[in-house]
Amino acid sequence: MTGSTSLRLGVLYPREMNLYGDRGNVLALVRRAALRGVELEVTTLGLDGGDPGEIQACSGFLIGGGQDMDQLALAHDLVTRKGPALREQVSSGAPLLAVCAGYQLLGEHYRTAAGDLIPGLGILPLRTEAGRRRLVGNILVAANPGLGLANPLLVGFENHSGRTILEPGLHPLGKVVRGGGNDGDSGAEGAVLGSVIGTYLHGPLLPKNPALADWWLFTAAGRTGTTLDRSHLDDSAEEAARREAIQITLSGSRARGYRLLGRRPRIRRTG
Amino acid sequence: MTRADPRMRLAVLGGKVTAWASRGLRMGGGTTLPGDVARTIDPRVLRKLAASPRRGIVVVTGTNGKTTTSALLRRIAAAAGWRIGGNQSGSNLIYGLTAAAIAQADLRGQMDLDWLVLEVDELSAAAAAREVQPRILVVLNAFRDQLDRSFEVDQVAARLGEAVAALPETAVAVLNSDDPRIAALDRAPKASFFGIEDREADRGGLPESADRPVCPRCGGSLQFSAVYYGQCGDYRCPACGWSRPSPALRVTRVLTAGLDHLELTLAGPGGGVGPLEVPLAGAHNAANVAAAAAAAREMGADWDQIERGLREFRPAFGRSQVVRWRQRQVRLLLAKNPAGMQASLEAVLSGDAGPVLGLALNDGVADGTDISWIWDVEFEKLADSGPRWIVVSGRRAAELALRLRYAGLAEPRLMVRPAPEQALDELAERAAPGMPAPSLLTYTAMLAWHRAVVGAGGAEPFWAEG
Repeated sequence: MTGSTSLRLGVLYPREMNLYGDRGNVLALVRRAALRGVELEVTTLGLDGGDPGEIQACSGFLIGGGQDMDQLALAHDLVTRKGPALREQVSSGAPLLAVCAGYQLLGEHYRTAAGDLIPGLGILPLRTEAGRRRLVGNILVAANPGLGLANPLLVGFENHSGRTILEPGLHPLGKVVRGGGNDGDSGAEGAVLGSVIGTYLHGPLLPKNPALADWWLFTAAGRTGTTLDRSHLDDSAEEAARREAIQITLSGSRARGYRLLGRRPRIRRTG
Repeated sequence: MTRADPRMRLAVLGGKVTAWASRGLRMGGGTTLPGDVARTIDPRVLRKLAASPRRGIVVVTGTNGKTTTSALLRRIAAAAGWRIGGNQSGSNLIYGLTAAAIAQADLRGQMDLDWLVLEVDELSAAAAAREVQPRILVVLNAFRDQLDRSFEVDQVAARLGEAVAALPETAVAVLNSDDPRIAALDRAPKASFFGIEDREADRGGLPESADRPVCPRCGGSLQFSAVYYGQCGDYRCPACGWSRPSPALRVTRVLTAGLDHLELTLAGPGGGVGPLEVPLAGAHNAANVAAAAAAAREMGADWDQIERGLREFRPAFGRSQVVRWRQRQVRLLLAKNPAGMQASLEAVLSGDAGPVLGLALNDGVADGTDISWIWDVEFEKLADSGPRWIVVSGRRAAELALRLRYAGLAEPRLMVRPAPEQALDELAERAAPGMPAPSLLTYTAMLAWHRAVVGAGGAEPFWAEG
């Protein structure tokens, strides 16, 4: 495959797992790959597709967030039908970026508020339990230096009631600067193991964190021997959106206050 | 309410004094604080006042279209000769409803009204239904809306279901048969459906911003044979056989062209109207018209009255309102969530919208602090068609500009002007004379633009309208 000029992105369950604009992650990868001289083809790996052959043809993967009802239906398909091929791909270095519910599905299990156990893929040694208070708001994370990101400050939005507990030895994606993260108090956010990253950050994640989009592309290209232009790109529009988000996150304690008090603000809303 | 209730009377008085004081002190429209004060004096004040309207109370709820549907309904009711009250100012949580009821009651707690039409926040609908015991509950839809507050659409639907369950025995639930989650709420004492049945209006598939259409009965994937807006259309579940309930009140024909108006034909029990023009844009508004007509039929209006009301209808605040700015006109359109933005964008592209389009994104609590939804709107449609210039504004202007860039837009066509005045200047500079520049705005952006325009004398303060 040396010298090839295309990569293939496998998007897991795009219809079902796209609650928070995760489609933006796909757009970011496609656009950045093009700017780096590579065509990124997109394969949909949905409930009605994604057999082992299709998974093996992909250079890397994305999985997004969904609603609880979706998760139940998906977990079975993910673990039994797509699991073996996906695990094989990831263990040979294919990047897998998982957001929110997708992140939870990579762990051992998710225990719902009702006590039901949703089995996960077990790619990441972690588990998630339903929490009482929802963690909602803008979030800033200082990424694990081991990832070597060009810009290690990650910006995003989180909205989850699950509390994710990492097994000892599993590294978080980064440290929470502002926001809740994995569990709201450990200060850890997400997880990283080899070519797998899980995180609660949507917003969507990649357009405002181009360094992480580059991580995905470089990881995918490095493994398949694809030639990728690694020079510095003009990210001024991305930077402007980041600055705006960072500023609002740092000044945004007001919006959080009412959630901690457990009451809704009385505001005018209209339909 | 035949006997004197001193506590209720005191609450009404307290509310009225607060409203008068807050207006006098220019604290705003006085739209929720009076309710707060009155409920502190008598927590049951709204329940007590609710018994007063002669014919009863209509509650309109759902994530999108409440204000427009309520305005349509008030207009039809006026055409039917009824005395109507409501919460036109748009304060639609329980305190706002209480304040609106107090404003329309006398000091004895009596309203000289036939009907009270209340638009109610979708998450407050159950509480409101319990307190006011409406005769008619209109449930429009459940779109993704401010997910940082409402969390998930299924939960919104569940709350709407609680509102239906709280209805008294004699009440009617007027439900949208095109939105699967709403169509499934037929546990009401009596359900009456409205919907669109015009295959030519099929947009040909679900938009990116639509939710995965899951069967509310069995969780299977729904199959759509037509989609009109959002996840609304004609559908069935291959797994369990559940399908869209056939609506009694139907939009049999809808033509959308541009932002000025849509042309539609309604058919239902005992007759129909149309084709006639309504000054609203987009298929989603055809559904709002159908909802209002269905509710009006349940209220006892005849088709002539419905037709007269629709002909006399003028858009509500920020729903296609045209304002002046520097000798030019700007059309303010509320686009507060992906379904609304998508529908408005499609309306802009359905006709000649003029040379310039405004877009503004804020992330206040009333807008929803999570703005990730803009990535689900198909702004790609703007890449090779539509207005020549796009002006981007709001607290999250840079984020919106980034989204548009990823949709294939770039300078000089794309202009970032964060402040409302800057954006309005740019629109006025480029708008054609006599052709209002359409501007799609999230809720607090709408308020900010409106404030700027009122300050410059280009529109009335909104609480003076209705």
